[in-house]
Amino acid sequence: MSSLARLRPLAIPALAVLSAFIVGSVFLIFTDIPALQVLFAGRPVDFLTTAFGNVVHAYVALLTGAFGDPPRFAEAIQQGTPQAWATAVRPLSETLVAATPLIFTGLAIAVSFRSGVFNIGGDGQFVLGALGATATALLLRGFPAPITLLASLVAGIVFGAAWGFIPGFLKARTGAHEVITTIMLNYVALQIVQLALRTDFMRPPKGSEPISQVIDFVRVPALLPLPGLRLHWGFVVALIVAAMVSYFLFRTTKGFELRSAGLNLTAARYAGMSAGGSIILAMVVSGALAGLGGAFQVLGTVTQMSNDIDAGYGWTAIALSLLGGNRPSGVIIAAILFGALNNGGHEMQIETAIPLDLLVFIQALVIMFVAAPDLVRQIYRLRPKSAEPGAPASEGAAA
Amino acid sequence: MTATAAPVNGLVPAVSEAARRAQRSARIRGIVIAALGLIAFGLASGSMTTDVTFKFWLQQQGKAFAQVDTSPGELWILAGIATGVTGIWQLWRGAAVRWRLWLVLWLPFWVIAIMGHLLVGQTAVLTNLFSSSLEYAFPISMGAFAAMICERSGMFDIAVEGQMLVGACAASIAGSMALQWLGPDAGTIAGPIVGPTVAALSGMAIGLLMAWLAIRYHVDQIISGTVVNFGALGLTNFMYLRVLQTYTDYNTPPTIEKIQIPLLADVPVLGPIFFQGTPYMYIGWIVMVVLTYFIFRTRWGLRLRASGEYPQAAATVGINVIAIRYRAMLLAGAIAGFAGSYLSLHSAGSFQMNMSAGKGWIAIAAMIFGAWNPIGAFGAALVFGFADAAQQLLSITGVDIPPQFLASVPYIMTVIVVAGVVGRVRGPAMAGQPYEQG
Amino acid sequence: MRLELREITKQFPGVLANDRISIAADRGKVLGLLGENGAGKTTLMNILSGLYRPDSGEILIDGTPRVFNDPAEAISAGIGMVHQHFMLVPVFDVVQSVALGAEPVTGAVRTFDRTTARARVVELSTQYGLDVDPDAKIENLPVGVRQRVEILKALYRKSDILVLDEPSAVLTPGETEELFTIIRGLAASGTTIIFITHKLNEVLEVADTITVLRRGRVAGTVLPSETNREELANLMVGRDVELTVTRGKAHPGEAVLEIKDVFVRNDRDEMAVRGANLEVHAGEIVAIAGVQGNGQTELVEAITGLRRVDSGHIRIAGATVDQAKPRKVSDLGVAHIPEDRMRDGLVKAMTVAENYILDSYHREPYSRGGRFDRTSIAREAQRGVDEFDIRTPSIETHVGNLSGGNQQKMIVAREFSRPVKLVVAAQPTRGLDVGSIEYIHKRIIEQRDAGAAILIVSTELDEVLALGDRVAVMFSGRIVGVLPSEQATKEAVGMLMGGVH
Repeated sequence: MSSLARLRPLAIPALAVLSAFIVGSVFLIFTDIPALQVLFAGRPVDFLTTAFGNVVHAYVALLTGAFGDPPRFAEAIQQGTPQAWATAVRPLSETLVAATPLIFTGLAIAVSFRSGVFNIGGDGQFVLGALGATATALLLRGFPAPITLLASLVAGIVFGAAWGFIPGFLKARTGAHEVITTIMLNYVALQIVQLALRTDFMRPPKGSEPISQVIDFVRVPALLPLPGLRLHWGFVVALIVAAMVSYFLFRTTKGFELRSAGLNLTAARYAGMSAGGSIILAMVVSGALAGLGGAFQVLGTVTQMSNDIDAGYGWTAIALSLLGGNRPSGVIIAAILFGALNNGGHEMQIETAIPLDLLVFIQALVIMFVAAPDLVRQIYRLRPKSAEPGAPASEGAAA
Repeated sequence: MTATAAPVNGLVPAVSEAARRAQRSARIRGIVIAALGLIAFGLASGSMTTDVTFKFWLQQQGKAFAQVDTSPGELWILAGIATGVTGIWQLWRGAAVRWRLWLVLWLPFWVIAIMGHLLVGQTAVLTNLFSSSLEYAFPISMGAFAAMICERSGMFDIAVEGQMLVGACAASIAGSMALQWLGPDAGTIAGPIVGPTVAALSGMAIGLLMAWLAIRYHVDQIISGTVVNFGALGLTNFMYLRVLQTYTDYNTPPTIEKIQIPLLADVPVLGPIFFQGTPYMYIGWIVMVVLTYFIFRTRWGLRLRASGEYPQAAATVGINVIAIRYRAMLLAGAIAGFAGSYLSLHSAGSFQMNMSAGKGWIAIAAMIFGAWNPIGAFGAALVFGFADAAQQLLSITGVDIPPQFLASVPYIMTVIVVAGVVGRVRGPAMAGQPYEQG
Repeated sequence: MRLELREITKQFPGVLANDRISIAADRGKVLGLLGENGAGKTTLMNILSGLYRPDSGEILIDGTPRVFNDPAEAISAGIGMVHQHFMLVPVFDVVQSVALGAEPVTGAVRTFDRTTARARVVELSTQYGLDVDPDAKIENLPVGVRQRVEILKALYRKSDILVLDEPSAVLTPGETEELFTIIRGLAASGTTIIFITHKLNEVLEVADTITVLRRGRVAGTVLPSETNREELANLMVGRDVELTVTRGKAHPGEAVLEIKDVFVRNDRDEMAVRGANLEVHAGEIVAIAGVQGNGQTELVEAITGLRRVDSGHIRIAGATVDQAKPRKVSDLGVAHIPEDRMRDGLVKAMTVAENYILDSYHREPYSRGGRFDRTSIAREAQRGVDEFDIRTPSIETHVGNLSGGNQQKMIVAREFSRPVKLVVAAQPTRGLDVGSIEYIHKRIIEQRDAGAAILIVSTELDEVLALGDRVAVMFSGRIVGVLPSEQATKEAVGMLMGGVH
């Protein structure tokens, strides 16, 4: 029983993901027009087999796309060539590539939720971090690559932190609700990016698209010595940063202040902590993490700044943070899961023509179910939990 | 807005600290405004000789114009006078002057002067500018009304964006299906009714879901709003790519066209601005008036506001706060969904991915900027719509100003207002706070 | 109308709030309901207003049993409430506030008929002498006028039974006099009035009958003409629990805490502490008695830096702390046991060890250079747990899972883990079992004997009398009397608590 009991905290997230996929498949079935035509032609059994077959096909494609195809691994072991290994490992590599920015933004949101601040501005901080990194790379072109790379990463941190500082400062000083300000600043950030992408400094010569020059001269080195794999050291840094965030939150006095303020602001005041300082610090750290994520995305994965560099990472991050219980380790697991979904979704899209956006919808459902644990418990008839450890974002954060 | 005195009590001094602070900031505001007036005069001196032409449609059909030839310098002088007078008035009367109203007096002059400055040597048809401002303002103002109803009831609605998007998608599909099933004759008549109705219903369904999650399962309303926005984007993109893109019949709804109001449409200048729009525009006006009346003059409004300001007080006099909040979320959902139908049935003529493009957020900005008041929100939506229309005008006339500046205005203004930098606006006290029935 | 409650019983988890309470009030009469905090007054009132349903017992109006499922039903039965914390929407005007929930309407869209409502408000306010500007906004009205609006609300609903909960708590003496005039007028016109209070003088002045509640039960029903303050005080505070505390004689040293003419506002911007004066010396315990809401909370918060002093001075060990932050106060050697331990004193979702260092985490040996020394924390926390006999599975257990007694011991252990010059303990044993109470009392006396100055604030008279070397009584924001322990009898203190001095 004891090992089962230890798995209990995982029950809600696991069931939430399961429920989301079930709801997702319902939508898949009811948008399967060819199958529906079969139904309207009066063949319900054929409809069910076709529609369900399609759902299974889609989800299998999702899995192999996310984690790799067993036959390919067998082939790789037989042949042993780097090429064969690269083919076999590529899906996994791509999953981790997709997970990397999610880890950063997920950590950013986790820090803010832990501190009782609702940072909905992960998007803006992420894109500005990417923009700062790109601009710095272009500015320092010609310097030795490691220096440029380092400076660009720092610029990403600084830009993101600055974009987090504004709403933090406003909340601490004037009580401006951070949800409103961060959302508005997201849009301002997108406009800043568009503006920057119009400048000759950013644009490739003769370019007219809103896309920057390629900055592969400062590329983050690849992690695996296999040809054509995009997985880069950014992923490892993400794991290290997660460990650092964990250390910061749980082993330092500042982290202690943030967590206390997030869990019980009046007790934090009683204990002599500064509420305003905690809010600002939380937002700055949160922004810095998202900004660093943006920097790695542009320096490691896409090598080019564009309007659509941000694929809703700031929003997905809210799901990740909730799913991971606002714990860095949980965020990593959730980010890899979502990375797998996104990456496997590409495979699914290619294989079955089912749009990748289904997964955005499924992710939203995951947030909904995780945020309403009582709903999940009701559906699956679980016993209510006696005490709630951890830091549910819904407590205290909205104040 | 700032000069509310603290509750008086036997021992509290007559002039409270808050009032003194308000007086001081009013003085500072006066100085700043007056200084802006001086700047305007300064700008005028350099540009008296260049010219700019503003045209007005006298009426649409006859293509008759009236035109005003002026120069940026003259416009700047007007702006300088308006601003200077306002600034001095504010300085003189201090906190007694409600700055928000006075903004209306001088800010438009600045806008006109800046436009004149940018349009040097060009001709601009202002009638078109104003009528498209009104059109662009429609979805924003309706979204603002939706969010306002929620917040007035004590709920926090950040899902306007998602409700609009789903509304747009549902309207297009429903309108197209009506066209398919009823044939081109009946369908063209029924589609424009069925589409918006289904859009409103889909918005209501989302509102119900959010209210249910928040009230029954205590889901934080920011989280549930995020779920809806994010999910709506995923769902509508999915629908578009999986169904609508391939089966285009389902995405060719009968569109909703502009209507000329007989007689009024022929009134010079005003006709082309106000009476040649889509039915949506007229509905927007009607909703504004009706909502203002309902919120401030009816029993429903009184109870709605009470449950947003002090739910316990409402409950102790026997009002069912929970029911009020459910109904408010349903109504808001209907309005937001209906606003979404405008996007697919009028602007674009079909559903496109992410076609709400942030309008739901601008709507929330308009609500805040309009101080949770339908008329104020409508005014703010007009300002934002004007920013849109002006941006288009400038890009058509080839003025090289990055559109991003104007596009950012609503967002930056909202941050400033929320932060209380220029006078705090106060929303319903308990918006977003969960309420437990006794 | 005649209102009668028979054998009303209401049980909450762990508390029997109302135990077979029976009261009766006749038409046109004023029933005074007298009791301390926790006597069950508020629960009884919530039952009457339809917010709670009693576990057993019945409510009779003119002899007919009635059941109220929600406030609307109580209102329609003719019961009007004036809550201690006014139930008025600040941004509404008087007419709107009064009519809310019973609005006259016209037309198909149910337009609020303001003219009718306003006319009725004006009519009622002239009829009953409740002087109110019907068009004024609530947030701009002084509290006394707000209360009149609350009474108007009840009259507007044609309430025949008016329940006033601690109506004078926020009023100035002048306003209270006006209130009494209003109450007498209402009674004369046939309204039945239930007047809930803890102030002896007030019930004696306005009530026709007085029912005294104590610990959830009726302690007695008397007529004002046949009783006196002493008897009422006795009934109110009772003699039923004897706390056994053994303490030696105090040896007071120099003043550690000095409070001079201090004024402090509460959250609603009302002046809660109005010119308090008190000194606490090293090596003595000063216990402040008083009914909840007389400014004790605000005074404690002002001393500990959680609230700004409006005027006057507070000095701790010679340092002025009028505007000091909590951290500075704690650095002066102040231990603070807060009134509401779950809200202020503990972070439920954190562990015992983390709570043990909650207000000294930044000091050595817990941390160095901003980083925690987990070994030291574990060692010290474990020592605290052992020393104070805190029953917990481990120091990694979340504090929310401990019992109330152990949570409070946890706070005491933490606060006494530092060198202490002054102990400020607010309601240190509220809601605890007898064993924990005795233990905490013992620890506090140890601190006194070690030379600390101790300030205890408690609404439990027994605790105050058992611990205090000197007993101060707080009433209406002032310290209305300081008695040495020999003179601090229940009667004497009870009279001061009821505002008789």
